[in-house]
Amino acid sequence: MINEANKPESLHHANESGPPMDNAIIPEKDLFQLNRRRFLEAAGFTFSAVALSGCTRPDPELALPFAELPEGIRPGQKLTYASSCVDFPSGCGLLVSVRDGRPLKMEGMPEHPLSKGGLNAVAQALPLGLYDSHRLKNPLRLGKKSEWKDVDEAILKTLSSVKDSGDAVRVVTPTVTGPTLKEAIDTFLKQFKDGSHITLDTVSHSAILDAHEKTHGARVLPHYLLSGAKVIVSFGADFLGTWISPVEFTADWRTNRVPIEDDPQMSYHAHFEGRVSLTGGKADRRYRLAPDEFGTVLNHLYAMLSEKAGKKVETAKLRKSPIAEADLTSLAERLWDARGESILLCDSQDVAVQVVVNAINHLLDNYGKTLDITKPSLQAQGNDREVLKLIDELKAGKIAALFVAGTDLTHNLPEHGKLAEAISKVRLVVSLNERNDDFSSIAHFVCPDHHLLESWLDAEPVSGLVSLSQPLLQPLGNTRSILESFALWSGNKSSAYEILRTSWEKNILPRSKSKSFRKFWDQSVHDGFIEASSVAPKVSEFKTEAVALSPQAKPDEYCLSLYTKVGLTDSRHAHNPWLQELPDPITKVTWDNYVSLSPTTAEKLGVSDGDVVSVEAGGSNVELPALVQRGQHDRVISIALAYGVKGTDRFAKIGPQWLESRLTVAEGELVGKNAAPLISTANGSLSLTRDDVAIAKTDKRHELAKTQEYHSMELPKNIAPYGGEYRDVVESTTLAAYKDDPEAGMHEKHFDTSVQLWPDDHPKKGHQWGMSIDLNVCTGCSACVVACQSENNVPVVGKDEVYRQREMHWMRIDRYIDGEDDDIQVSHQPMMCQHCDNAPCETVCPVLATTHSSEGLNEQVYNRCVGTRYCANNCPYKVRRFNWFNYSHEDSLVNLALNPDVTVRARGVMEKCSMCVQRIEEGKIDAKRRGVELTDGDIQTACQQSCPAKAITFGDMNDSKSEIHTTLDNPRKYGVLEEFNFRQGVSYLRVVRNREEGDSGEGGHSNHDAHKHSEVTPSNSNNIVNLDEKRTSETGGKHV
Amino acid sequence: MNRSIVTVILLIGLFYSLIVVAAGVSTWRYPDEQQGYSPEQPIAYSHRLHAGELGMDCKFCHFNSLESRHAGIPSTDVCMKCHKFVTSSYEVLKEELDLADKEKRKPKTIISDKLKKLYASLDLVDPKTPNPDAKLKSIEWIRVHNLPDFVCFDHSAHVTAGVACQKCHGPVESMEQVRQFESLSMGWCVKCHQESTENGINGKAVHAVRDCAVCHH
Repeated sequence: MINEANKPESLHHANESGPPMDNAIIPEKDLFQLNRRRFLEAAGFTFSAVALSGCTRPDPELALPFAELPEGIRPGQKLTYASSCVDFPSGCGLLVSVRDGRPLKMEGMPEHPLSKGGLNAVAQALPLGLYDSHRLKNPLRLGKKSEWKDVDEAILKTLSSVKDSGDAVRVVTPTVTGPTLKEAIDTFLKQFKDGSHITLDTVSHSAILDAHEKTHGARVLPHYLLSGAKVIVSFGADFLGTWISPVEFTADWRTNRVPIEDDPQMSYHAHFEGRVSLTGGKADRRYRLAPDEFGTVLNHLYAMLSEKAGKKVETAKLRKSPIAEADLTSLAERLWDARGESILLCDSQDVAVQVVVNAINHLLDNYGKTLDITKPSLQAQGNDREVLKLIDELKAGKIAALFVAGTDLTHNLPEHGKLAEAISKVRLVVSLNERNDDFSSIAHFVCPDHHLLESWLDAEPVSGLVSLSQPLLQPLGNTRSILESFALWSGNKSSAYEILRTSWEKNILPRSKSKSFRKFWDQSVHDGFIEASSVAPKVSEFKTEAVALSPQAKPDEYCLSLYTKVGLTDSRHAHNPWLQELPDPITKVTWDNYVSLSPTTAEKLGVSDGDVVSVEAGGSNVELPALVQRGQHDRVISIALAYGVKGTDRFAKIGPQWLESRLTVAEGELVGKNAAPLISTANGSLSLTRDDVAIAKTDKRHELAKTQEYHSMELPKNIAPYGGEYRDVVESTTLAAYKDDPEAGMHEKHFDTSVQLWPDDHPKKGHQWGMSIDLNVCTGCSACVVACQSENNVPVVGKDEVYRQREMHWMRIDRYIDGEDDDIQVSHQPMMCQHCDNAPCETVCPVLATTHSSEGLNEQVYNRCVGTRYCANNCPYKVRRFNWFNYSHEDSLVNLALNPDVTVRARGVMEKCSMCVQRIEEGKIDAKRRGVELTDGDIQTACQQSCPAKAITFGDMNDSKSEIHTTLDNPRKYGVLEEFNFRQGVSYLRVVRNREEGDSGEGGHSNHDAHKHSEVTPSNSNNIVNLDEKRTSETGGKHV
Repeated sequence: MNRSIVTVILLIGLFYSLIVVAAGVSTWRYPDEQQGYSPEQPIAYSHRLHAGELGMDCKFCHFNSLESRHAGIPSTDVCMKCHKFVTSSYEVLKEELDLADKEKRKPKTIISDKLKKLYASLDLVDPKTPNPDAKLKSIEWIRVHNLPDFVCFDHSAHVTAGVACQKCHGPVESMEQVRQFESLSMGWCVKCHQESTENGINGKAVHAVRDCAVCHH
């Protein structure tokens, strides 16, 4: 500021003499007289000159053609290769789309006999795992970068001394289904006098195999055929989410879950569990039962069924069943009526309990029908006794060489410290893991394996189904296939491709009907899998004498239940930010694991969400934030495994870094905490449930970033119009009601939707894209969420941004909980842009950045958007996402996972589901190129393709032959908030639960009068209640 | 005294920025406006000679435009279909042939400077002798037609619909050095979509959609 007192000299000068400065011809004498104004003039000119000189072309961009075009490659064209997901024992069929040498998107293989075109979230996230600069690029020797030559030399030298001394060599892997890798490991181990291969799974199913050894004389895992099951009873087995082969089970389960108007039949699914799993929530009847009481209830169930079979079983000594007898009797009746068409599943790690399960399945005549043990599943081969023996041997110093591949041994087993110390006594410790994980960091040598998408491997998930995995790009680092490593250490210097071919020619070809190997091989690589004859151990007849009902121990105050999340089935995937940010389908928490407690228990302990509690069991202690979970058993404390993985501190700064940003991972911490120290090793098994557990509140807090405390679609009571207090966003009904009236459960319409505000001047000719989602079969598995993220370049925003309600997922899955604690029913609703014909967002955009296409799509034009966010405010579904930042990637390698067909959005623009318009355009162009008409199914959206339950239908609503067209007439069809007359392109099919009207006291919405209650409270069971409704009001202030 | 030093420094700065501006003005464009852009290429390939004088079809080399979104600069082995034999200009080759005839010897392979760069891409010394250990190297062409990142353009869709290459690329067959002929602006695209829908392309009715998401997704 210039005031009179300190007016600069020159200013006086200017005022006093001559014309104003602006037009002055500066006297020569003054030219070098610098004053403030002149300085600013000159500086301003300089700055604008520099700025203008920047207004030029960017640096020239190079266009690099191939020197020699590889055969079959067309630059810019997508190619699809068949492969299989051998990283997981479930072995789903993969179709990998590769563009310009980059694998970009995982798709399910529709022809695959197991996965039938579906994939899970973890498989969808594979590309991000591939383009991860934190994967090891070189072999390590004592933690330092080394050369393969030196590493091999040193390993072989030690191995030859081990060979001479005849000491023990152990190879530890998770379940290996591939015959070639198995053979390679066996060949390697045969060199030693005492060599064995030990299978360690994160979630072990060892007890099922052990029970079959007792009852059927062979250690096999049955191949569960859920498609034939009319009655499914599960004790803790989360078969739609994480248990053994969820994609396959979901596809099979779906076949009996779609009621048709003419023949309204559905399978009946009862579920007993302590924590709330995805499968439990989908069940027709979910019973709260702590896992330590499975045995008791199963014993009673067995007794009831035996009685029906004409054999009395003594039940006097058994503990009283915690489940009401009437419920059990009716369940037994249902099972008995569906003999040969029912199935009983159980995830208990107690062999005695599993023997009872086998006995029941035998009584029900399910073996050979819904359980196949002649062509058994090979998807879980873990043997806990061997693992425990290995731990003992390690502690006793009996092991000379330890090789670990595909599992983080020290992370996944309890007693971390002691184990690490025991391993330090081993002469040769070699890790073949991809990363410098917990085990690799104490190994003498790390010989990193290729990523799945870089390697030749095979798999045999079910006896008789052999599939291949082929490399889709050159390895990004100086890594080596596990096949090559073991072959080299066995004296065979072949490449993985040669090893695989030789093994297939020798072992697989004779099992097939083919004669010529070349043809057979080419066909196998093309198809990705072959069906061969089965080689399986002989099973005997059911041994009744093996069954003995043993009274179960009295349960303790608490029961710990460890599990894996749908998104993080294994600690190996903890480095994948897509999976870390994927909300858990039930709790909706991202970026953390936590201790789930029932509301009653939480109240008893005086904790609420985010209060850190300390859980102590077997001398180990884990401190984690609490999460109050409705429907959880009061005695059950559940914690997710596969967290607290070494190296996940890398995600500390994953989100945008700005003035108020907070770290995703606090200084010196990891994402979540490792709960493996709480695994029980009692009774000769690695049990994920245990009773000897103590829990205490601490005074710390750790905020959890959840995605469903907001986005509530319900109106506050004080402003709700009459009848509109509760929007039936998820409609549901019961099978009994559906039989009477297929439109049962329809929400009463309060407004007339025939009136149009706009003149009807937009003829709907040509294609009209529409989507329909069957909520009855949607399990909430979240594969679609990650598929969408992968397809549409959706960024990861980090925990803090999720906490600020700014996650960017185009597709979210809303979870609604209905019913009382003892009988909750969970509905999942995939929610994304509804592509309304009367879109509220379109009318408020001041720059026409969001418009309606002639094909019924609501388009978002990023380059036109100026970021007013009016559209998001006016969207009743809250599906629009705003780019608050440029979400940069950690490093440039991750950029290779970007889909070149989809614009990477810049800061300040709105984005949302486009219904995969890039796929629609591609499909249309492809049809044009081939000179054919577009047919239904040519275009599939990313979410639709990935869905294991085939819940999503997409197509041209104007095409009378399309599936979506027929769906429009489905009596279960409804639109969310239909009465506002948005005329959405996305519709939903109502949930139908196989319940009688009577026992669904808290059932769905068959009761139309429910809406006329003058006061509806969240606890009113006549309505689906947003779980977090109550909490939102409590914490509302914080989440602004 | 101090002031005059500062002023001198400032004037020097002014002088330099003027030079920068002068240099900048010659290539001055609005951002993303590239009409007339004609960079010098690593090999002075002449479309006038190949497409104009010799009458080669565009899609002989740019065959990718039939099947893919990119028309693509042809890979070196496409050039080698002819340039395995044509190693220099007609005059030079003819002169050598005549000379060889006269001197009763086998003609020498004469390789023009331009084509040496082509053979270098395939690591060949003599175009007729294959080199099995060749270190292949892409020719670093400079991209002329470059749409912004938020636009998706598919060549095959347009070629299949019958749009002539010249419609967007101008008379390339008369260009010694390729330049961007049209503005390739959105208004220009939309105008053509509108006209094609109204009038058809070569008498064939087409439906060139004008929805935003056709190009922007």
